[in-house]
Amino acid sequence: MSDGQRMQDTMTGNGPVEGGSVVSASATPEIERRQRPRPKISSTPPAPPPPPRLDDYASIIGQPELDDLRFLAQYVRCKTVKMVNSTAVGGGVAEMLNRLVPLMNELEVVTRWEVITGGNDFFEVTKGFHNALQGGEYSVTQAVKDIFLSYTEQNRQRMDFSEDVLVMHDPQPAALIRSKRSDHGRWVWRCHIDLSNPSPEVWGFLRPFVDQYDAAIFSSPAFSRQLACPQYLFYPCIDPLSEKNKDLEESFVQKVCDDFTIDRSRPIVTQISRFDRLKDPVGVIQAYKLARKYVDCQLVLAGGGATDDPEGAAVLQEVMEEADDDPDIIILNLPAWSAIEINALQRASTLIIQKSLKEGFGLTVTEGLWKGKPVIAGAVGGIPTQVIHKLTGVLVHSVEGCAYQIRYLLTHPDYAAQLGRNGREHVKENFLMTTNVKRWLLLLQILLGTTKPHPPEQG
Amino acid sequence: MATAEMNAIVHRQARAPFHFQSAAHLIRIGREKANNLSELLEALKVCPDGSIFQHTFQTLREHHFIREGFSNDFAHWAFAACNEVGLAERLAGIDVREFMSIAALRQRLVDIIETYLQQNPRARERVAFEPFYFSASEVIVIPTPFVAQDLAEFADGIRHVSLASIHFHFIDARLRLKLDSNDFSLWLEHELDLGRLADHINRIDIYTSTLHDVRRAILRFVQSALG
Repeated sequence: MSDGQRMQDTMTGNGPVEGGSVVSASATPEIERRQRPRPKISSTPPAPPPPPRLDDYASIIGQPELDDLRFLAQYVRCKTVKMVNSTAVGGGVAEMLNRLVPLMNELEVVTRWEVITGGNDFFEVTKGFHNALQGGEYSVTQAVKDIFLSYTEQNRQRMDFSEDVLVMHDPQPAALIRSKRSDHGRWVWRCHIDLSNPSPEVWGFLRPFVDQYDAAIFSSPAFSRQLACPQYLFYPCIDPLSEKNKDLEESFVQKVCDDFTIDRSRPIVTQISRFDRLKDPVGVIQAYKLARKYVDCQLVLAGGGATDDPEGAAVLQEVMEEADDDPDIIILNLPAWSAIEINALQRASTLIIQKSLKEGFGLTVTEGLWKGKPVIAGAVGGIPTQVIHKLTGVLVHSVEGCAYQIRYLLTHPDYAAQLGRNGREHVKENFLMTTNVKRWLLLLQILLGTTKPHPPEQG
Repeated sequence: MATAEMNAIVHRQARAPFHFQSAAHLIRIGREKANNLSELLEALKVCPDGSIFQHTFQTLREHHFIREGFSNDFAHWAFAACNEVGLAERLAGIDVREFMSIAALRQRLVDIIETYLQQNPRARERVAFEPFYFSASEVIVIPTPFVAQDLAEFADGIRHVSLASIHFHFIDARLRLKLDSNDFSLWLEHELDLGRLADHINRIDIYTSTLHDVRRAILRFVQSALG
């Protein structure tokens, strides 16, 4: 059986192992001689841990920051908020709401989260919208409009919109704005996707709905459009207490490396991402090969998406071919519930790479920075917001540039360490869940008029 | 300092207490956008005061942990996106503490870019690697529980308030006070008659220090005054 076949069996749960797969750097039988121990990842998702309480963040952001949050919350205490999106599990929005909603409620801002319902036809339409708004093609026929609007109407009939603030996440629930009343409720559209180059047809259909909102939120100024309402900048964020980002015992990090046969006595260069051409895993291997002419290191490419996605499987095959039979290239196709193992891999790494060719915000970069690691990343999408070149990491535009930075950072550890320290502080200031809570509290105050912003010269 | 003088400082009561405050900022995405230096210049002339504040004073807080090489967003963009090192250096040389109004700061930015473009006309329309997006801060001032009646209580407040509070009193204050000073120094001088301590604190270099460093430096000067 080839490595690729072994991986497939593992990921569909038909195989004998517990889950996850280490893919050797080649599918050839010779490579199978290098038997790597199997990873100890559960074959099913573990139960999620209970969400953290606000006080749990004190050791990370400090008590004064928590005091600021509690003070800001006083102005909107007992106000009601409804968050609406299209999925309760999976995806970044659901992950974020899972943490945000309990924290808002703990601050006595009564926050409910509701998920819209729809048939497969509805979600096919909204997937088409989603892709077209990010530059793809999609034809908005009358049938498409009818499907979108009829499910919107069903959700409108089912749901209640009596809250003080109603927040619609992404395009799927955007047309629920039809339930807006003139005498109550402020409506916010939280757009998590890049709208800089939308399909005119799809945007032309959705824009009349969006223009009725009282405010819109984007993840980057570059992702926004000119709209009738005020637009605010909310960076995506990570939760420092999540499985993916919490501090880990050194013994656990060591155990994960042992499981994956990663040698911690030598430098480890890691890219965590789906097996997707836009993440350029082949380019990362090429950069590693160039760098290896001068420095010793191992390369870890860890991610998922190669099991349930035919394109992912094809990319994984390309990656394995590029890796050839190099024993120092460790390719890991992990199940979606490997957050804590990914955390350990990031913490064990000497350098983190995210050599994307196209990117949204790039939360894997945020994760690497948060762990105090020097990050080498492609200068695309939201990455330059996080990686300020030569200050919080380094930006690259080519395989050669990436190779040079690997060599430079591995041979200048003091400089690399300073980048790592700055990167962590950057995340602490701007990209943590608690900062996101603060932004929501501020926006609610502004929308509800419970306090007025001060011009800078008045304070 | 003589022991008697130190004792006097320790027990001196302020004529008026110092109320520590903090500030929270929400960023509003602006309408202005620049693809080259010419567009940046035009946008600088018309953008809201909140945008000038965001890209100078406020960005300094957001990036306070960088001890060298970061001054304001305009300088960073000129360097990273336009590759205009000479202009970046001049813009980075702007010290926000010298400005007591947004209007004066805006004029300085405009003057520097106009002069540079006169000397380097080809830089005017050269397309930047990525656009500059203007944004603006909406600021909400937050009271804190910390109030100082004397120098020891002042030290206690400095030790415990958030970095946002340090930035609000130490850096943003100039715009409110219209003085080349800060809230801490002003209070120490006027309410506790500690002019020398006020002067030491006012001379802490924010461009080579993080806000953690600023907090530590203030505490060091205060502890020294307290003996």
